[in-house]
Formats: sequence, C-alpha cells, structure tokens
Amino acid sequence: MLAVAERDPCKEMLAIGGKSEPALTPLQPLSIVAEGFNSAHRAMDRIIIRELQRLLGNPGVLSTAEDLLLYEYDGSVEEARPDAIAFPRHKQDVVDIVNLANRHEVPIVGRGAGTGLSGGALARRGGIVLAFSRMNHVLEMDAKNQRAVVEPGVVNLDLSRAAEKHGLYYAPDPSSQKSCTIGGNVAENAGGPHTLAYGVTSNHVTGLELVMPDGKVVRVGGRHMETPGYDLTGLVIGSEGTFALVTEITVRLLRLPEDVRTLLAIYDSLEDCTDSVVDITARGITPAACEMLDGCTLRAVEDYVHAGFPLDSAAVLLIEVEGVREAAEAQALEITEVCKLHNAREVRRARDSRERALLWKGRKEAFGAIGRVSPSYYVLDGVIPRTKLTVTLQRIEEVSRHHGLVIGNIFHAGDGNLHPLILFDQRDPNQFARARAAGEDIMRFCVEMGGTLTGEHGVGMEKNELMPLMFSEADLDLMRKIRAAFNPLGRLNPDKVLPLGKGCGETRLQPFPLSASGNA
Amino acid sequence: MSQVASLTSRLVDLIAADRVLTDSASLAAFEIDGRRPSAALLPDSVSEIADILRFASAERLAVIPTGGRTNLGIGMPPRQYDLALDLSLMNRILAYEPQDLTVGVEPGVRYAALDRSLHEKGQFLPLVPAHAERATLGGMVAAGVDTPLRYGHGTARDYLLGIEFVTGEGVVSKSGGRVVKNVTGYDLHKLLIGSLGTLGVITRLNFRTFPLPPQQRMFVTSFADPAAAFVFCRAIMRSPLHPRLVEVIDPRTSSLFAASGADFLDRDSWFVIVEAAGQEAVLERHGRDLATMAREANAADIAALDEPRRAALFSCFCELSSIVLHTAPVATIFRIGGLPSEMPALLAQARQLAERHALDCAILIRALSVVYIALLPSAGSYALADLIACSSELMSLCVGSGSSPMIEHCPLELKHALSIWPPAGSEHDISARLKLVFDPQGVLSPGRFRGGI
Repeated sequence: MLAVAERDPCKEMLAIGGKSEPALTPLQPLSIVAEGFNSAHRAMDRIIIRELQRLLGNPGVLSTAEDLLLYEYDGSVEEARPDAIAFPRHKQDVVDIVNLANRHEVPIVGRGAGTGLSGGALARRGGIVLAFSRMNHVLEMDAKNQRAVVEPGVVNLDLSRAAEKHGLYYAPDPSSQKSCTIGGNVAENAGGPHTLAYGVTSNHVTGLELVMPDGKVVRVGGRHMETPGYDLTGLVIGSEGTFALVTEITVRLLRLPEDVRTLLAIYDSLEDCTDSVVDITARGITPAACEMLDGCTLRAVEDYVHAGFPLDSAAVLLIEVEGVREAAEAQALEITEVCKLHNAREVRRARDSRERALLWKGRKEAFGAIGRVSPSYYVLDGVIPRTKLTVTLQRIEEVSRHHGLVIGNIFHAGDGNLHPLILFDQRDPNQFARARAAGEDIMRFCVEMGGTLTGEHGVGMEKNELMPLMFSEADLDLMRKIRAAFNPLGRLNPDKVLPLGKGCGETRLQPFPLSASGNA
Repeated sequence: MSQVASLTSRLVDLIAADRVLTDSASLAAFEIDGRRPSAALLPDSVSEIADILRFASAERLAVIPTGGRTNLGIGMPPRQYDLALDLSLMNRILAYEPQDLTVGVEPGVRYAALDRSLHEKGQFLPLVPAHAERATLGGMVAAGVDTPLRYGHGTARDYLLGIEFVTGEGVVSKSGGRVVKNVTGYDLHKLLIGSLGTLGVITRLNFRTFPLPPQQRMFVTSFADPAAAFVFCRAIMRSPLHPRLVEVIDPRTSSLFAASGADFLDRDSWFVIVEAAGQEAVLERHGRDLATMAREANAADIAALDEPRRAALFSCFCELSSIVLHTAPVATIFRIGGLPSEMPALLAQARQLAERHALDCAILIRALSVVYIALLPSAGSYALADLIACSSELMSLCVGSGSSPMIEHCPLELKHALSIWPPAGSEHDISARLKLVFDPQGVLSPGRFRGGI
C-alpha cells in the first residue's frame, strides 16, 4: 500500500522510479514501439489532396503539417501521422473518398472522436483519415419501436439526450461518452460501466450500412432483432474498422429505469473490496454497474473532482442498482449488507441526482484526473474471471514494484474488466519501455487467469503483437482470411488487430487454448 | 467392393468401427429432407472431428453435423449428403465456474442435462429449447433456436461467450473466450449462431449463466380482439416493468395450447402472457401495474397462474412447433423478425391470406420481436397446393413489407416449390466469401443456407 499522506501519484511515481531504477534490467520494448510506425509515410501527392478538396470543398480536407499533427494521436499512447484528413458529409462522399483512395492506392482509416485507447483510429501506414465528425445526425427516432437510426459521427451522449424526451436511452456508456461517437463505438464494440447489466455495443445494434473497401454499399442486419442469414452485423461490430466503413447505424433504445440507487462502499483493505464483488455476484445480484477505484486512483480523482471519496481509504466500490422501485430498494439493501459483511467502513447512498452525478463524475473523469498528476499514463483493459480479482490485484502490485512504476487501478469490477493505469513519463524512453513491459506482464497474467487481453478498448496497434497469447497460428490465419474476405487489399485500416507478419512475436508467445483453466 | 463398403473401410481408419454406422435402420434417423447419408459417424474427440473433416474435404464428401436431431427440418434440402456427424458422444460439461457465472460445454450436451447441473448451483441458461431432453447445445446454437425468455434475456448472441470449432478443412479454431466481456479478435462465434453447420462443426461452447430468480409469476390477460392486445403490449413497452417473458397468442394458438395441457385457456380469446421474476414485492408490483394497464386496454380478464399451470403454459411456448405439427402434420411455420408497430398490419394480412386459401392460421408473437405464423389445413382437409401457394404469398408479403421472414417448418414438397429463405440481399457476396474461407471445398451442409450457401 502506498503511504496515504503522500497524495501525489506523480511524485510517488518519480520516487519509486528513482529508487528501483538500478535494479532494472533494460527492457526491450515491443517491436511496435521500436519501429517507426510511419516508415511507409510519404508526403501525399498534391494531386490526391486537390482531388479530395474538389470532392469535399476546402474546409472538408486538412493537410498542413500542423493540422495533421492533431490527428497523430488518439486516447492511447500510440502515434502515427496521416497524410490527409477528409470530412465526408454523407454516404456518397465516403464512397467517393474510398474510390479515390483505391485509384491512388493509399490507405484509408475511419475516425470518430479519436478517444480510442488502442490506436484503432490512427493511420499506421499514413494515407487518408476519414473523420466522421460532420456525419453527426440522428436520422430517425422511432420511439414506438425503441429504435434510432444514426450517422456514425453522432456523439454517444447526444443520442441518449435525443432519446430522453421519449423516456428512452442508449445503454452502452463508455466513460468518454461526452465525446466518443456511435461509429467509433461500433468499430470497437465499446462497453462502459453499465454493460454489466445491459451488455456492450453489439447487444444494442441491430443493423449497419457499410461502405466496403471497394466502394460498394452493403446493408447488414436491419431494424429487427433478427435477420435470416449469417450475423454479419455481429461480426462487423468490433472489427476495429478493418472490414468496412460504417455509414449508418440502427440501434435499440432502452426504457429509462424508474429508479436508480447509487451506493459508495468505502474500504480500508483492497481484499475486502474485491471479496465484496465476488460475494455480490455469487448471491445472484446483478447491479447495473459495479466499479472499483483503488486508493491511488481515488486520491487523484478526489483532488480533481471532489466527488467525496475519502482520501484515507484503500478502495471504494461505486455500485448502482436500478429498475422498478421495489427491485432497486431490495437490491440496495442486500448489497449494503454484503459490503458491511466484508468490512466496508461505510456504505453511503447518493441522496439525489446531483450527488449521483458527482460520484459518476469521479468515475468517468478518472483518466483525466490521472492526466493531471502524471505526465503520461498507459491504460490497460484486460479481463479476468471475477473470482480472480484479488490474486490479479496482488500480481499488479508485484508488477508495479518490479518495473518501478506506480499503477493505479480503476475498473469494472462486476465483470472483471480491469483498467490498470500505469503512470510514467513518455519523454523518458526508458520509462516508456518499462511501462510497455509492465503492461505486457499484466495482460499476460490476465490471459493466464483464463481471461482476455481487452474487454472493451480493442486490440488496434497496441496489442496486435500480443494476440498469439490467446490465439494459435491457425486461429489468426482464419481471422486474416476473414479480414481479406472484406478487405482483400488491406487498404482499410492496415496493420491493426492481427500480428504483423510471422515475426518474433508469434514464436516467443505460447497461445492459451479456449479452455485455458482458471487455476493456471 | 461396393462404394459404401470402400468408404466404410477408409472411415474406420479415422474412427473406431463401432462408431461408424452404415446400416439402413440407423441411417434412417439421420434422414434430412428425404436424403440419407452413406454413413453416420460418432466422433468422441475434437481431433477425430478434425480428421474426419480433412478426409471429407479431400474426398469432397458432404458432411452434416447433428446433435439431438430436433431441428434438422430447418434449411433447404442438402445438395449432397454423404456423412452425418453425430456429436452426441461429445457430451461433457468441461468447465463450470458457478462463482464466475460461466460454463463451458461440449456440443452434444443436452439442454436438460445442463439445466440440471446449473440448477444445483442455483443458476440457469435462458436459451430454453423445444425437446429439452434431446436438444443439444451445439445443435441449438447452430440452428439459431429462439427462447420464450427472450424478452428479458435476449438470445444466444447475448450470452454465448466463445466457441471452438473445426472448419471444413479440418482446422481447429476458436473465437471469444470464457469471460463475460471480451473484444479480443473478431467475433466469429456470432457468425456460427444460426449458421446451420455451413461454416464449421462446433466442438465447444462457453456461456454466461444466470442466477435463478427467487420466484417467478406468470400473468395471463385475455382480449376480445388483437387491437386491444396490442394496446396492452405497447403499454408494457412504455412501462418501467421488466418482465422476462411477453408472448401474444391468437385464438387458434390458444385452442392448440388448450388441447396440449393448457386447458385453462379460453379458445376464443387473444392472450397476452407476461412473466415477471424477482422478490415478492417486485412480483406484486408487476401484478398491480399489469392489472391497471390491462383494464385500460379493455382486457376481458387478468389472472396470475399457479405453478402447475405456469409450467404447462411455458412448455407450450417451447413446444409450439410440435403442438402445431401434432394437430396438422402438413403445416408451414414462419418465423418472422418484425417491429411492434408493423405487427398488427402483418397479422391482419396474414390472416386474410390464410382465409383466402381456406387455411387456418395460428399466431404466436414472441417478445414483441418475432412473429410465428403457422399455416395449417382447416378441419383436417389436406390442401398441399393451397399451403404452398399461401406460403409463397406470405413470404412475398413479408419481404415486401420489410420484415425478416424464414420458414422453420414445412412439408418437403414446399421446399421443391419455393425457398424457405427470403431472397439474398446486398450482403450475399460477403456471406458467400465467408463461406469460402471457412469451407473452401463446400463440404459442410451444402445448399441448406440462405442464398444457396
């Protein structure tokens, strides 16, 4: 446990880093770090830029060095510079841009708000980034059937706001929901705190309109919950923009719950906190959300948001139950009892919507809060079976000590989806390399526990070389062929999701079978 | 040596002779749409399945995987059918972690057997099939079966976490995992749901399980006409209630159910049946609110069922097809994905159509998402030509109105006259390319799927 008095994780990080540095062997970063991403990058032909401008008008294209710099990043630690940014206004623009890219044989990468956490929207091989921010219309609100049809650039929270007057909302709620787009959510199969009860993006999207890499327009799924034939909608969701560009999305909307109870359980020990989570699940209670923040994270958050997280606690659980009044109340009582049984120091209830909003602000702006106290952070997204929470947190602490980096923990405890935050300074190449290595250690452990590399952030260009941890060469080969069935020339979002070539990555990593036992 | 004998002699190199069936009595059980395979194989390991598929692929032998054989009628007649791959020996529960609410099973595990194991730990899987004692999890997923608990829990797509399968070329592969949240790699397991064995042979399935509710209560509301029933359904959708089951049945279906154990149903009414689960206070709340909404919708009556009646009616929902086919062996059963607002018009048109062809029409609407329409000869008169003509018109009507139809059950003669699938759409190219990736030689269940796949 970190000393409570010292509340600045940034200072803690530097202190630990300084202390343990001599003991560290210099670690080789993953190959994706060492190699320049943009080796294929070249100044894009002025002709292509001019053609794009002719298609979209001058304001529809960005190509100066300063502008491109802004599109070199997303929410991850990756970077890659595109050659041009194109802002389509409608499907036909998208088709035209794709055709143009094909004529000139340059890559195309779709981008929503750029809040992704695995480099999915970065132009790893340069080329044209198709930014969907101008395709941001809710095309249809079909309240009586609880459906909406939207363009990909619609912001997640804006959709729920548009649905609110009908008593409806869009359930998947990534922490970035104030800025992330439905198109980006579809690409990543985004989750969020409330997916514990309601599922992820794929559980809420019924149909898509696609522009294929050859410029053809294809519709998959529809407004109904089922269409005869292969579930192409389910396959395309989460394909991280490597199959097709999505130009229209049909979503299912849910009825706003009658009652919501938000609880904050406060613990003096991390283990009591994780035990509570396991026990809540074991008793058959399914909260709408069950989020955990450890001491390091909650202190950074409290300094920034003033959500009321006690600074001297070891961990807090933010639990929400909802439904009809009777169900919410009964569950809130039962959860309070379980938390107290596991030595919660206190279980608070949000008294009104203002208090509730404040607690959630503390959770949803946690990454931002960490950003204030550490020059850089690397957020992971591994998933483990819930029952392995305690042992995994112990392992993360070991990794933190071994690499001499502070690791904060904030995660969707209810579904075992961890978000360890590794604090480091990206300007220091040695720290960056250590952060990568620590991340790899943690992800490897998650897989060994019978879990997975990523629960909601995607593989992108951050974890693609780690895929052999979970998948055999045969699995990956099949996935390559499936991608080729959509995207035969690899022009759409190249070098993402799957390992590049048959490199060192695949020979040094042993895949775990689907049956990988939880007691490994 | 005859062709079959030579085939058998090569098969016993791959799998023990006592698990290769070639006698006609055994093979009759594997008949699909009038076609019998040359042999039925009962592999007991993934590697045997891989060996068999490699052999079949090299020899261009068509293979159809089977489980409990409760849904073999779904799909078009196979273009070719050499080997039945009976997976019933692959029937082990591989990993059940009650505390994590996950379970991993082999494809041949019967639903009822799994349900008994889950019950011991106070859990269940909401994908409740027809013929629960026979239906296997692999077969259910491959056939894309529906469940009466769809309103509250969705379908397999919502709780299938991962799949291991063997491709047409005999390559063992997998997708997903065994944790409840996972976006690592492409979601191939979603593709396999409802793929009728055309993409791969499923060898393992991982599911999320659910805690059994403390109690459940089923409320039956009767209406004089469908319009009132739909008013009630819309009120349920707009209410804060969270039922786990919402089914609507017409008078013809109620009389079929009444003859099959649910004898308390009045044969002249439309019924909306709602089941809620949870603590007593939650059930009482559902009871109160449903009663108010039912009154406002001019319901004739609302009642909560006792447990034996609840179980009887629940079983009728599961066994809809067999109940229809028991009464009318020559019948067509449509499964139509639709939106609530489209349903009244669709039902009115379907009933008119049936009447014009002198057929009866029995309707069940599931979770306000799927409409089952059974067309059956009225008063036992046998009218195949009418049935085919009416089915064809209903298919066109659905396609024209934008709903998503398929025929789940019909006489074989109908399949010779029209497709059970709607015409392929703009997505067909992708589907055909995916089929080639999974099964380059086209040996897996050829010709049974939409678009001739």
